[in-house]
Amino acid sequence: MFKSFRLSMTWVHTWFGLVLGFVLMAAFFFGALSVFDREIDRWAVPQSRFEPQPMPSFDRMLRPVFERMQPSADSIERMRERVNGPLPERFDTPIRWGAYTTHRDPVLGLFAGYEVPNAKEPETSIWANRTIDPRTGAALPDDRLKIGSRFFYPLHYSLTLHWMNLGYWIVGLASLVMLVALISGVVMHRKIFREFFTFRPWRNIQRGTLDLHNLTGVVALPFHFFFAFTGLVIFAGIYFPVGHTQLEPLHELHEKHDAENTGLPHDRAGVPAPLASVDAMVAEAQRRWATRGMAGEVGFLAVQHVGDANGYVSVYRAGTDRIALVGEGIHFKASTGELLREDPPRTAVDGINTFLTGLHLQHFRHWLLRWLYVLGGLAGCVCIATGFIFFVEKRKRQHAQAGGQGARAVDALAATTVTGMLIATLGILIANRLLPESLPAGWPGRGDVERYVFWGVWLLAMAHAFWRSAPVAAGRIAPAWREQCWAIAGLAPAAVLLNWATTGDHLFKTLAEPYWPVAGLDLSLLVGGLLAAVAARRLRRKEQNDDVRLPAAGIVGEAEVRHG
Amino acid sequence: MSVSHTLSPTLVVSRIAAALLGGYAFVWGFVALSMAGLFALGMPFHDAEHLSSILAFLLYPAVFLWAFAARRLGRVWAVLAGGGAAMTAAASLVQHLLV
Repeated sequence: MFKSFRLSMTWVHTWFGLVLGFVLMAAFFFGALSVFDREIDRWAVPQSRFEPQPMPSFDRMLRPVFERMQPSADSIERMRERVNGPLPERFDTPIRWGAYTTHRDPVLGLFAGYEVPNAKEPETSIWANRTIDPRTGAALPDDRLKIGSRFFYPLHYSLTLHWMNLGYWIVGLASLVMLVALISGVVMHRKIFREFFTFRPWRNIQRGTLDLHNLTGVVALPFHFFFAFTGLVIFAGIYFPVGHTQLEPLHELHEKHDAENTGLPHDRAGVPAPLASVDAMVAEAQRRWATRGMAGEVGFLAVQHVGDANGYVSVYRAGTDRIALVGEGIHFKASTGELLREDPPRTAVDGINTFLTGLHLQHFRHWLLRWLYVLGGLAGCVCIATGFIFFVEKRKRQHAQAGGQGARAVDALAATTVTGMLIATLGILIANRLLPESLPAGWPGRGDVERYVFWGVWLLAMAHAFWRSAPVAAGRIAPAWREQCWAIAGLAPAAVLLNWATTGDHLFKTLAEPYWPVAGLDLSLLVGGLLAAVAARRLRRKEQNDDVRLPAAGIVGEAEVRHG
Repeated sequence: MSVSHTLSPTLVVSRIAAALLGGYAFVWGFVALSMAGLFALGMPFHDAEHLSSILAFLLYPAVFLWAFAARRLGRVWAVLAGGGAAMTAAASLVQHLLV
């Protein structure tokens, strides 16, 4: 189909990069924000602005909270069609209780799953979630959206499109294309070492853009490859569900062996039993970790088959001090506190797998590396965005002469996914600070409204980008970019001011304390707004250059066309 | 890319389908056979699963690019779809012998 290997690689790089680049942009940007998801949560939920806390006492604090928990009215409503007959007043057979925290979490997330009587499908369970202040046990309002960990984070791997896991598949395809684009990109550019040191912004836009595309692509190549690759590995079970489809019988064979080996009961016994002191089990688990030379805090605590003779308690270690995501789980009989099992040492394969996924998910404490992740993610965004701009710059004059709209459409979509995405991000932060504490009856939950604002603002930015990109069809720069940059330059400091006005946490206070989660986001917003203003002014100058170079609309300065 | 103007749409669509779907079938077959095979050789089930999927995501971009680089499209389809089906069948055979 192609005359040479290099041309085939160029074709794949250009067209797959273009089509899936729009998705990749969101994956990289919201992935970069997810590095500080817990900190964004603090900004968005002011009630939770205090220092991270260790796992509190189960016996005194968590148990009473778990015993009072029930699924939300929403999830009960959704369950209605999955049962025959009416639902019970109270779900009183908990399958599992769990509490999860990290070294960056002031608040504690709890969940409880219950058996559903008369369910159409066996093993149907209904879940309840709650977030508490671990210092007092008091519940935080349920409808507060943790914008970092519950919106930006899932957005970066699933686009929050959950129907048939569609979002996961789209992002998965985009990740595959990222790997493909990196390999084909290296093939296209033979002088890879020289491009490492080449950046000529004073040449024309096309040349400078290509240099920046190559620079960000090559410098951060291991980073880009690693994150696209490990992202796929993390969700391998969704993309290649072999063990749950074709090889399900083999899986079951293994599970049967496994349940015999671990001694952890798979089902309830049907005999009620009390719950012994979980705090004592936690102390024992910590003692055992210490004797292994890895003393640590509890990250995840779970009770399985609650209230049953087969119940057991699992205690997992927080992954604060190591890359590999492992809990060194220790399991106890719930009714007596007797040790049932310690997770065995990792095998070689498990060691590789947990290292790869752990380095992506970074539960460990390392603030410098955290910031390098953000920079790597943003470098990925620059690489993708300059790819779009190079695509447009290379074609727009040809298209203008031929009367085509292709370059204009790509330019508008590029503005939508670059500046438009930033505007939508600022939109949800501003909505979070502007919406009243409680919404009138009949309204969707506060968090839902915030999400609608995000998508609504993004759609508006898209409409604006298409409307204000007409000059591209005449070989010029779209004013959409400059106008959206000004919008960012205005909205970013507005979010900082609104945070001050609604919570009293201005930068002088958060920097003096210091309270970095809020100060960090506020400072990043200000820097981002400033950069957007600089970009807007430069774009204005480029547009004026166009006015000089292309005095009348429709006349294309052919002498200026240079092929990069 | 001036070359793109001379490409016939049918050929392009078929190449893309070969890379995406043919590639998927091939990698599926690889994962299945490698999982069943490693398990048969005594590796724990989830280790076999993890190792296979780690290798799968290195294999997929490689076959994806090969689907565009290869000269003859018929050969691409034969290797990817045929090889995928053969490996999938072999994996089921191994499972049949074990269960």
